[in-house]
Amino acid sequence: MGKPSDLLQGTLDLLILKTISLEPKHGWAIAKRIEQVSNDALQITQGALYPALHRLEQQGWIRAEWRLTETGREAKFYNLTKAGRAQLEKELAQWDRLSNAVGLVIRMV
Amino acid sequence: MKAERWWNLIRMRLRSLLRRGRVEQELNRELGFPLEQQIEENLAAGMAPAEARFAALRRLGGVEQIKEECRDMRRTDYIENLGQDLRYALRALRKSPGFAAVILLTLALSIGANSAIFSVIDGVLLKPLPYPEQNRIVRVFFTGRTFPKFPLNPFDFRDFRARSRSFDALAAFTRADLQLSGSGQPAKLNAFRVTAGYFRVLGLGPERGREFDEHDEIPGNGRLVILGDRMWRTQFTATPDIIGKNITLDSQPFTVVGVMPPGAEHPGNDFHPLGYGDTVDAWWPFTFEGNPNDRGSHYMEGIGRLKAGVKPERAQAEMNGLLAQVKREHGDQGSDWQIMLIPLYQEIAGSSERLLLVLLGAVGVVLLIACVNAANLLLARAAARQRELAVRSALGAPRSRLIRQMLTESLLISLLGGSLGVAVAMGGVRALISLLPADFPRVDAIHVNAQVLAFTLLVAIAAGFLFGFVPALQVSRTDLQQGLREGGRSSTGSGRHTRLRSVLVVAEASLACVLLIGAGLMLRSLANLLRMDPGFRPEHVLTASIPLPEADYKTGEAVSRFCDQLVTNLSNIPGVRRAGAGSDLPWTGYDENTGFDIEGKKPPPNQGFHARYHYATPDYFRALGIPLVHGRFFTEADNKDAPLALIVNQAMAGRYWPHENAVGQRITFSDTPKEGDWLRIVGVVGDVKDKPNSSGAESAFWMAYLQRSNSNLSIVVRADSDPRQVLAAVRREVSRLDPSLALGDVRLMDQITDASISAPRFAFFLVGLFAALAMVLAAIGTYGVISYSVNQRTHEFGLRMALGATPWGVQRLVILQGIKLALAGVALGVVAALVLARVLRSLIYEVSAADPLTFTMVSMIVIIVALLACYLPARRATKADPTVALRAE
Repeated sequence: MGKPSDLLQGTLDLLILKTISLEPKHGWAIAKRIEQVSNDALQITQGALYPALHRLEQQGWIRAEWRLTETGREAKFYNLTKAGRAQLEKELAQWDRLSNAVGLVIRMV
Repeated sequence: MKAERWWNLIRMRLRSLLRRGRVEQELNRELGFPLEQQIEENLAAGMAPAEARFAALRRLGGVEQIKEECRDMRRTDYIENLGQDLRYALRALRKSPGFAAVILLTLALSIGANSAIFSVIDGVLLKPLPYPEQNRIVRVFFTGRTFPKFPLNPFDFRDFRARSRSFDALAAFTRADLQLSGSGQPAKLNAFRVTAGYFRVLGLGPERGREFDEHDEIPGNGRLVILGDRMWRTQFTATPDIIGKNITLDSQPFTVVGVMPPGAEHPGNDFHPLGYGDTVDAWWPFTFEGNPNDRGSHYMEGIGRLKAGVKPERAQAEMNGLLAQVKREHGDQGSDWQIMLIPLYQEIAGSSERLLLVLLGAVGVVLLIACVNAANLLLARAAARQRELAVRSALGAPRSRLIRQMLTESLLISLLGGSLGVAVAMGGVRALISLLPADFPRVDAIHVNAQVLAFTLLVAIAAGFLFGFVPALQVSRTDLQQGLREGGRSSTGSGRHTRLRSVLVVAEASLACVLLIGAGLMLRSLANLLRMDPGFRPEHVLTASIPLPEADYKTGEAVSRFCDQLVTNLSNIPGVRRAGAGSDLPWTGYDENTGFDIEGKKPPPNQGFHARYHYATPDYFRALGIPLVHGRFFTEADNKDAPLALIVNQAMAGRYWPHENAVGQRITFSDTPKEGDWLRIVGVVGDVKDKPNSSGAESAFWMAYLQRSNSNLSIVVRADSDPRQVLAAVRREVSRLDPSLALGDVRLMDQITDASISAPRFAFFLVGLFAALAMVLAAIGTYGVISYSVNQRTHEFGLRMALGATPWGVQRLVILQGIKLALAGVALGVVAALVLARVLRSLIYEVSAADPLTFTMVSMIVIIVALLACYLPARRATKADPTVALRAE
């Protein structure tokens, strides 16, 4: 049983941060939301998601608290910290730069 | 903002660490949530409840693995796991006490031995000498083709001192013992004559009073002395107002101008040597007497303190420039003398460096073998733990986690071994010091100190990684499926493990082989030294020196008279067989040389005849047991009124009269000899080796004490039995003849010859000890592997016996396996030894570093030991019961 692919590691962080930037979400909802918005193009496995959440929390970019979901069940909700918001800005800018650059190359060559 | 974030981070880490239970519980709850959600979704999609649950589990993947990864992300697991791993490792050790004992004991021994040798190296080689800025102090020598290290001429030295710009201070000194008398018992003092600035070179200042200055170097400027601390305390009861007082030395009044503090360590010297750190009782000023243009006499030992930033090479170049000037000024163009500067540290410790590094290498090899053994034992145990590890892996332990756990275990073992090793080192260092050769430098500086403890810790950690790494990698490669499926059987992965372990055993055998060969070479060398003929017979011989004060013994005649009377009186002591006196004794560093002319011979151009000169009374040779080869010894008749007689050694006879009889030939020291200036050779005596381990002797001759003499008198007494019994009588005779004289340097000749082989004996003893240890470890390793493989093959052996194999046939199989390992080890070891033995060359005596006898013997020993190690397992193999073997399936 190997580790899940780390191919999207950096990107996964960005997706998570972006997804919870509007409102706090629990892990399940984060994965659902990403799948939904990407029209199921991005499948986030639990094996990749939860370690990533814990890593982000350890780095102080997100904070967790226990809340009730709409269905009345208790779940761990993650929201952005101030540092996390700054990190999101940074990663978004980086992503823009990268995708622009990749786009340029693809179009030019 | 920054600070806030750090605070957050620390809080998170602390929470993960300290509130572990809570965090774990939350992790469970958090990961339970998606499962339930998924099940609900599946149910909503119309699955049956059981199916919905399975599908959800499949979709989510292994919950335990996710948990472990989440824990990893929290980054505190290092500490948590460490505790866990330590508890686990301790439990594992307790469960197999035999394994633990073997592994800890071998590690403790080898780590302890390493630490003990390291503490010697630390004290002798690494610790700076106790002089301020000791790396600026250099010894100054003349060097030439025939004499690589030669003392300086005083006037040359004075020119160098005046002209050189490289030194903060330049000084010269020479051994010149004194007789203390006047108050109570006379005593012989270890003393040196030193020039001004001698203590400035060493960076030492007198505790009281002052140092000598150049004014004190002028003849007639009063007799001054600086006392050593011990002398001041023992002979002068530490009187504070001793400065300015007169004391009687060599029957003359000397004014005390200074007292040195304790720990004013002697830097060591070559002529009539006192070792580094030996006690010096007194220093007195060297005075420049005689004709300054006479530069032939060399007896001053040079020492200097370089200016800050001046490299010895640069100073040496400057000195050689000055030497060329001096040579020009004194019309000496022919000689090949050069100046050589040697850092004091190197001069003192350099001689022991090679020996100590060889010992460190040997003891390092022992440690390596102990590590290989430990790795082997761990591998054997790991094979048995395969199933457990497979289960842990299945439960989500990543590979790195398993490696970490195995390494924790091996580090725990090595650190425990290391702490036991410290105890071994404490004892070992004490034993080492008592075994060290007599003239070993800096023995006082050897301690188990903080550096040694740090070294031990480092070695233990390195050893732990070394022997833990291979098993850890090996184990963590366990194939999960196979591990679980076959886990119940002991044969899991046996092929791979056995191969690896065989490789380790071959390595052990080859390392042990290298050490044994080293020990063998040293043993042969020691045997050669023991067999060696020093040129005299040391049994029952007592020697001592009696420096005669010039004030009382102004003329050669006075010296001769005293000497003649003393020898006669000594010979009459009951129990004394022979008594003689001479200018010096063998192996005391005496090296006074002179040029001469030979009747009827011309020296080759630009060279002269020269030889070492001595004086001796008639019975000097008989007392020392130096054999007569031709002619006769001196007799009472070789006195003032007789023609001058000479005895030469075989080396001199062979060198200057290779094809003729030397007896009857004549030499002279005069450029315009009259008839009375010729010395006639009356006898040729056997060569006495210059130093215990030198291959031969330099040319030397002796003049008769009744005809020529000097005031440095040494006596030789050969007794019927233990010479210590006559010592008191010898002292009595000396003081009866002159109550102001004391006997110095009393030594038994066989103690001197014994001490001369103490260094090779020390080296052999330790290398032999390490080699034996290595052999035992290698035997244990071989036994372990063979015995393990016999266990593995019980089934096979049972089958073979059932099919008609004889017990001997089965035994042979096992023994062949062991022999194969041993042969591979020996082959590798011999090759390695051939390469490595070269470093031993300077430590062995008259043995080739590739001595075939040693190599053959050692190879046979290693193979025989391997055979012995195979014997028990081989016997066990024949006991394999076919029915039991088959039933075990």
